[in-house]
Amino acid sequence: MPESFPRFNVSDRIEHWIQFVSFTVLAITGLVQKWPELGLTDTIINWLGGIETTRLIHHVAAAVLLLAVVYHVGTAGYRLYVLRQGKLMYPNMKDAWAAVHAVGYNLGLRQEPPKEGHFTFAEKAEYWSIIWGTTVMAVTGFMMWNPIATTALLPGQFIPAAKAAHGGEAILAVLAIIVWHVYHVHIRSFNRSMFSGSLSRHEMADEHRRELDLIEAGEVEAPLPPATVVEKRRKIFMPVYALIAIVLLGGVYLFLTFEQTAILTITPPEQVQIYQPAPTTTTTLP
Amino acid sequence: MSPIIIVGERFGERMNRRVGLILGLFIAGGALAAFGATPSAASQERSADLTAAVQAAVSSGTMIHPNVIATDNKTCFACHKGKRLTYELPSGESVSATIDEDKWLASEHGHQDMACIQCHTGISQYPHETGISTDLRSFVLNESKVCVRCHEEQATMVADSVHTKLLAEGNKNAATCSDCHDPHYAVNPPVSRTDVPATCRECHSAIYDLYEQSAHGEALTTGNPDVPTCTDCHGVHEIQGPDNSPFRLFSPEICASCHGDKDLMAKYGISTDVFNTYVSDFHGTTVLLFEKYAPDQQTDKPVCIDCHGVHDIIPPEDPRSSVFEGNLLATCQRCHPDADANFPTAWLGHYEPDPHKWPLVYYVTLFYKILIPTVIGAMLLFVLLDVVGRIRRRRQHA
Repeated sequence: MPESFPRFNVSDRIEHWIQFVSFTVLAITGLVQKWPELGLTDTIINWLGGIETTRLIHHVAAAVLLLAVVYHVGTAGYRLYVLRQGKLMYPNMKDAWAAVHAVGYNLGLRQEPPKEGHFTFAEKAEYWSIIWGTTVMAVTGFMMWNPIATTALLPGQFIPAAKAAHGGEAILAVLAIIVWHVYHVHIRSFNRSMFSGSLSRHEMADEHRRELDLIEAGEVEAPLPPATVVEKRRKIFMPVYALIAIVLLGGVYLFLTFEQTAILTITPPEQVQIYQPAPTTTTTLP
Repeated sequence: MSPIIIVGERFGERMNRRVGLILGLFIAGGALAAFGATPSAASQERSADLTAAVQAAVSSGTMIHPNVIATDNKTCFACHKGKRLTYELPSGESVSATIDEDKWLASEHGHQDMACIQCHTGISQYPHETGISTDLRSFVLNESKVCVRCHEEQATMVADSVHTKLLAEGNKNAATCSDCHDPHYAVNPPVSRTDVPATCRECHSAIYDLYEQSAHGEALTTGNPDVPTCTDCHGVHEIQGPDNSPFRLFSPEICASCHGDKDLMAKYGISTDVFNTYVSDFHGTTVLLFEKYAPDQQTDKPVCIDCHGVHDIIPPEDPRSSVFEGNLLATCQRCHPDADANFPTAWLGHYEPDPHKWPLVYYVTLFYKILIPTVIGAMLLFVLLDVVGRIRRRRQHA
């Protein structure tokens, strides 16, 4: 009987920690811009070296996050197309029932907790929230970063609307991480799988009962295709992804450099001769 | 008037002066000249105006020496009132040296019984010493150096002004005390609000012409005291110019001091949301943050005057206004040269989004106002149930 159950490979863990760093940096450098009057903003912006530096850091972190997205398109695509593991991630009715079941269990209406598979409903909810949130943030971020390009196609109002959505989504994301992620991964019990890559039997029994039962019965939730099929699909997937990645990276490059929104100098608001003695008077001592 | 007594200290120097004085008296035919300059033709007629004391002294050949006799204003006015007295400078320029005694007496300095020689300190004898000024502007600047003796507080403020900075850089056109405050006739309080622009106009007539046409200037020149005059924005003695970064950076606060005043703005039907809506937008947020963290640095983000104009501000409804709807694109393009027709509405024009004006912004904001508490509330509820469930099961177990 194995005592350790692999969960995240090295690539997954690197993705997670890149996400962690860029998300944290984006949240800090973004929220201080949303609430410039706050006392804490004072401390943070001072520490970061001013608002222009803060914005630069926000943009760099955004670029890192976008690169992580391009990479994730690859790892997710590989799992979906080559390994056919999609059913592990897609939400289904079992997840909805598991949520209802969990509530019932906590209220004392059920004797047993829900038996969940490789990813719990809580984990799937978080994953898809991040997909949604990152999409909203990237789209609205692009609009604010490139307002001239945006308003070439859309009404001007989309820019402040994008700003409202970017700020709202940011609060939603940060609160969701604090409430949902921190509770499920750190408070309820400290889940070390993003460090070690695996869960213990005890943790599996606690949170992934259905998967544990399957493994002990010699089965898996989403069986891997035969090695030959994997190899065949791999040969198709890799060049296709390379192409997609090039297009996406080009998109990221455009995102960052599409337009120069404003000139970098200050245009004098008024052109007037400052010293011009009044024509009707002569300068004499009274 | 209180007589001022100055006692000379260096007797030898005085003796030399006496020799010069005697020669001068002979050459000028007993006439007095102003400020010790070369006596002009006009000076010949002045002897009649001498006070009895002066006349007696001259006729008896006794030295008149202000250092040893009490010199009150009467002595000075003996020559310096009434007549067209001029003082010629080496540059060929001349200065009027005639003072209207009645106006002087009505002035603040006159009220204070100021003695002429308290300010005209270079004059201690007759004929007056040759001044150090070679031209008219230097003369004005030199004469103003004495003001600090009594007006230290104002002089300290002036020391920080753009005028002092320019003077220090060698620009002699920059204003000094007497350019704004006539030392002989100024009354206290110096001028009414409506007179301020006229004073500044002496040197800044091109700016005055713009101001006169603006909403503010038009109102002020017709006697409305509610509007800003030059000194309300630029300060009085510590006057700042547009190149000074704190002045530009903090200028929205200057505008807000009136445009955030609900009672004042209600009189004219102007919204007081202008400052808040500015600060909550990208440009205003940046300026606010610069004010906090880098008050001495310039930001390329616009302040009020960058869009609305500076001295020529007119209402946005006026087709000539830079923020009139039809002119907005051109105004945006000054900093955003590639901007297109839709671009200006990316700025909400100082309006708070509502369902009629800016519905998209309003509904997106509303969406998140509902979504955030709903999602986070549901999460909290779920987490709370889990916590409660765990505690209950642990108790049952125990």
